[in-house]
Amino acid sequence: MFKIKFIAQKELWHILRDPRSLIIAILMPIVMTLLYGYAINLDIKNIKLAIIDFDKTSTSSDLMGRFYNSGYFSEVTNPVSINNPEMILKKGQANAVLIIRPGLGEAIQKLKSMRNIASVSVDNYELGLIVDGSDANMAAAAGSYSSIVVSQVIKDNLPLGFEMPGIKISRQVLYNPDLKSSHFFVPGLIAIILMMISALLTSVTIAREKESGTMEQLLTTPITPRQIIIGKTLPYVGLAILDGFLVLGFGVFYFGVPFIGSTLLLFVFGVIYVIAALAIGIFISTIVKTQQLAMMGAMMVTVLPSVMLSGFIFEIKNMPLVLQIITYIVPARYFLLIVRGIMLKGSGIGLLWVEAAFLIALAIVLLSVATKLFKLRVS
Amino acid sequence: MIQTILALMKKELYQVIRDRNMLRLIFISPIIQLLVLGYAINTDVKKIDTAVYDFDRSSLSREYIKAKTAGDYFVISSENPTVLDAELGFKENLYTAALIIPNDFSENFTKKKPVEVGLLIDGSNANSASITSGYAEMIAMQFNRRQLAIPEPIVMRQQMLYNPESESVYFMVPGIVAVLITMITAMLSSMAIVREREIGTLEQLMVTPITVPALIIGKTIPFAILGFLEMSIALLFGVLWFGIPFAGSWTLLYGLTFIYLFTTLGVGLFISTVTQTQQQAMFYTWFFSIFAILTSGFFSPIVNMPEAVQYITYLNPLRYYMIIVRGIMMKGATVEALYPEIIAMIIFGIVIFTSSWLRYSKRVS
Amino acid sequence: MPDTVIIEKLTKKFGDFTAVDQISLAVGEGEVFGFLGANGAGKTTAIRMLCGLLLPTSGNGTVGGFDIYRDNENIKKSIGYMSQKFSLYGDLTAYENLWFYGSVYRLNKKTLKNRIEELSEELGLHEFLNRPAGNLPLGWRQRLALATSVLHRPKILFLDEPTGGVDPVFRRRFWGILYDLADKGTTLFVTTHYMDEAEYCHRISIMHHGQIIELGNPSDLIQKYQQPNLEELFVQLISKKSEKATDV
Repeated sequence: MFKIKFIAQKELWHILRDPRSLIIAILMPIVMTLLYGYAINLDIKNIKLAIIDFDKTSTSSDLMGRFYNSGYFSEVTNPVSINNPEMILKKGQANAVLIIRPGLGEAIQKLKSMRNIASVSVDNYELGLIVDGSDANMAAAAGSYSSIVVSQVIKDNLPLGFEMPGIKISRQVLYNPDLKSSHFFVPGLIAIILMMISALLTSVTIAREKESGTMEQLLTTPITPRQIIIGKTLPYVGLAILDGFLVLGFGVFYFGVPFIGSTLLLFVFGVIYVIAALAIGIFISTIVKTQQLAMMGAMMVTVLPSVMLSGFIFEIKNMPLVLQIITYIVPARYFLLIVRGIMLKGSGIGLLWVEAAFLIALAIVLLSVATKLFKLRVS
Repeated sequence: MIQTILALMKKELYQVIRDRNMLRLIFISPIIQLLVLGYAINTDVKKIDTAVYDFDRSSLSREYIKAKTAGDYFVISSENPTVLDAELGFKENLYTAALIIPNDFSENFTKKKPVEVGLLIDGSNANSASITSGYAEMIAMQFNRRQLAIPEPIVMRQQMLYNPESESVYFMVPGIVAVLITMITAMLSSMAIVREREIGTLEQLMVTPITVPALIIGKTIPFAILGFLEMSIALLFGVLWFGIPFAGSWTLLYGLTFIYLFTTLGVGLFISTVTQTQQQAMFYTWFFSIFAILTSGFFSPIVNMPEAVQYITYLNPLRYYMIIVRGIMMKGATVEALYPEIIAMIIFGIVIFTSSWLRYSKRVS
Repeated sequence: MPDTVIIEKLTKKFGDFTAVDQISLAVGEGEVFGFLGANGAGKTTAIRMLCGLLLPTSGNGTVGGFDIYRDNENIKKSIGYMSQKFSLYGDLTAYENLWFYGSVYRLNKKTLKNRIEELSEELGLHEFLNRPAGNLPLGWRQRLALATSVLHRPKILFLDEPTGGVDPVFRRRFWGILYDLADKGTTLFVTTHYMDEAEYCHRISIMHHGQIIELGNPSDLIQKYQQPNLEELFVQLISKKSEKATDV
């Protein structure tokens, strides 16, 4: 016990004496939170729409206004070539081009004077929409939002008392009604940053001692390998938790992400998750020789899967089966659901026990494997 | 001068080739990453687990439910749950949407009266929430059109250019390739110089007649070559394995990649002038990479970012390269379309190389 | 013998701290000059100024006839430097290290090849040429580092603690090589801790807290201070100086 304290203390000094790495350990989470919170907005809004107006009536101007005020589309002021509307798409200046052919004014007039459904003539007026399909989501959204705007125009120009038949979707969004991306990302960020600090820094610090030869020195003393591991990783648990709270605080107080559930529960699971991450860090450090490799390895095995395969941004169920199976051993997958559940939905252990069980099991397995490997390598 | 540069390049390449792990990193890991990312990164919102509450239970409502689940968008995970507590299902992550069909659904519909169908969405995933409602609207509109067969006064004819299969992979993989070469070249160039500083050979070089430009060129060109190699491997893999289309000119892409690598190597170089140890260099490079990736328009469109952030993205070379890669591969863009981006990259490259050059003095004062 | 390294009141200050305090000396062609001093006395700083790695705060100096302020680059063409760390590329073979540094010094292919051949012969490096430099035992790495610093036949060679950690046999042989170089006309400027080596030098200087407190031929100095050998002289001189400092 005593010896562990020594090693932990030494480790703390290492950390504190290296101001640059320390700044990064503290500054990076904050900057990442800011970046993710602000920069990543996967909502499809502000689709760049260029409009070519051949009709040139007050009606067509009105239509243009509708599109741009809908909140879905943003105006594109760059010139669109009538003969080559594609060019503006190629330049990336617009995501879609709307072509208002002559005759819009008349079509709207006909609409206003409609008596009953049957009297609508078959000569439809056609609007043209050319969409840049490279970003499939954006393209689909451009299509469906345009339809929404147009059907709103139709509805508004129908005579009084006349209602278009058919289904209307009345939608209600539960949790995060303002649909803020930050509510979605902050929980995930906590998971990633905890993983990063724990696994990355742990693997590097052990590798560093191996590289400089001091590990060998330590092993000639009465200290046991287990004590070395515990002592070396303890400060990083502290650092990780500090960072976790930092991101959490930032998210809650700055971005206004709700926190409905129990802080204690989150803390407990946070620690379990950090242990799993540490285990991975230790594992990596036992199999590499240099710090450089430790870092790259840690990056590859922990951060990348945590970001890509945990459900953080990309849906697990959309992935091919092989990858879905791999996600079962990514600790971040479970922790993510736990954090989101606790923060955004106020879920308690009753609802999250499945994820909790998986996480605990994973942590135990990883820890025992890593420790065994470390002892093996050392002897 | 040339002799010195060649000697530096040769030495650098020898060192890289001798390092097995480095080789694995440069050549094998991109393929693995491409595979994983190419398959995992799927921003399509599909297979939305939906709970359906059908209070009408008519043949028409069943028709509607069928229409809803046709295509890959909605998947029924729970039909007619006994408890009207969609919330519980949301909390347990059983489904992310709930459709509520009122009991007067078929009655009103056939009477050509408007009908309100409720859609509850789990908003925790803001991205898919809005797309989910977009799909629901679209499906409802199509259903209306088909069932009621009323002619529409105004119709929208859509034409989708590029990527007719709507594969998000086609959009992502070029981006992934860009990201990969960014990380590798910046990392390698910053580490290489810092390592020499750490072991003392940099000082040894400073005592020789070598000029600073020769040193800079000799140490960055080998990594440019490696970057090209890696890009080629990744692209070939993307085209052959994922079937990514290539609409534009390969020569143009390589030429512009050369300019882009100029910028990333410059960043690596600059980082090496401000760090003392390899670990720091790695951290800083990693930091830069994350920043570059997030603000490049890779995941999410730059237009959606707050104005302040949008201005910052102008400083990010990856932003321009992303447009270039996607433009050339998916839209067959040419210099005519891309010249603003090209100019921006050139300016960035010149600025950063000059700054690094100025910071490198053979003599410390 | 014309003087090849001349410095006059050379000073280097780092903020408030004076590392090198107005030192002056002149070293002749073909001379083996020993630069002694305790750790932290300022030896390495002084050498770095002479090699053009550090800009002096004040004072004058010429190396090989070139001014240390203005003709920095010309100096670098005519000097060789062997650092304490034996700056070699561990993952490159001995041959590759030699080839690389030779190319940096702009030796053409043929000359370089011959030179490497010559040096391997002289220093006994033949059997190690194809081994990675990092795998060589310390003594051989030392010789390799020396070889890389003399490929271009510099007129002046600066050696900073070149024999650190090497066994006595090797050290003596190394000094034999150094003397050969001096005989052929190379000026050698060596810092060292080993007093027995210092006795091999034509002249030595002793630095203390940035100043030169004694300069001259080793045997002359031993007589002057009535000490049995250089080591005793050194210890006596330094401790006396330290006492004086604390008295004040």
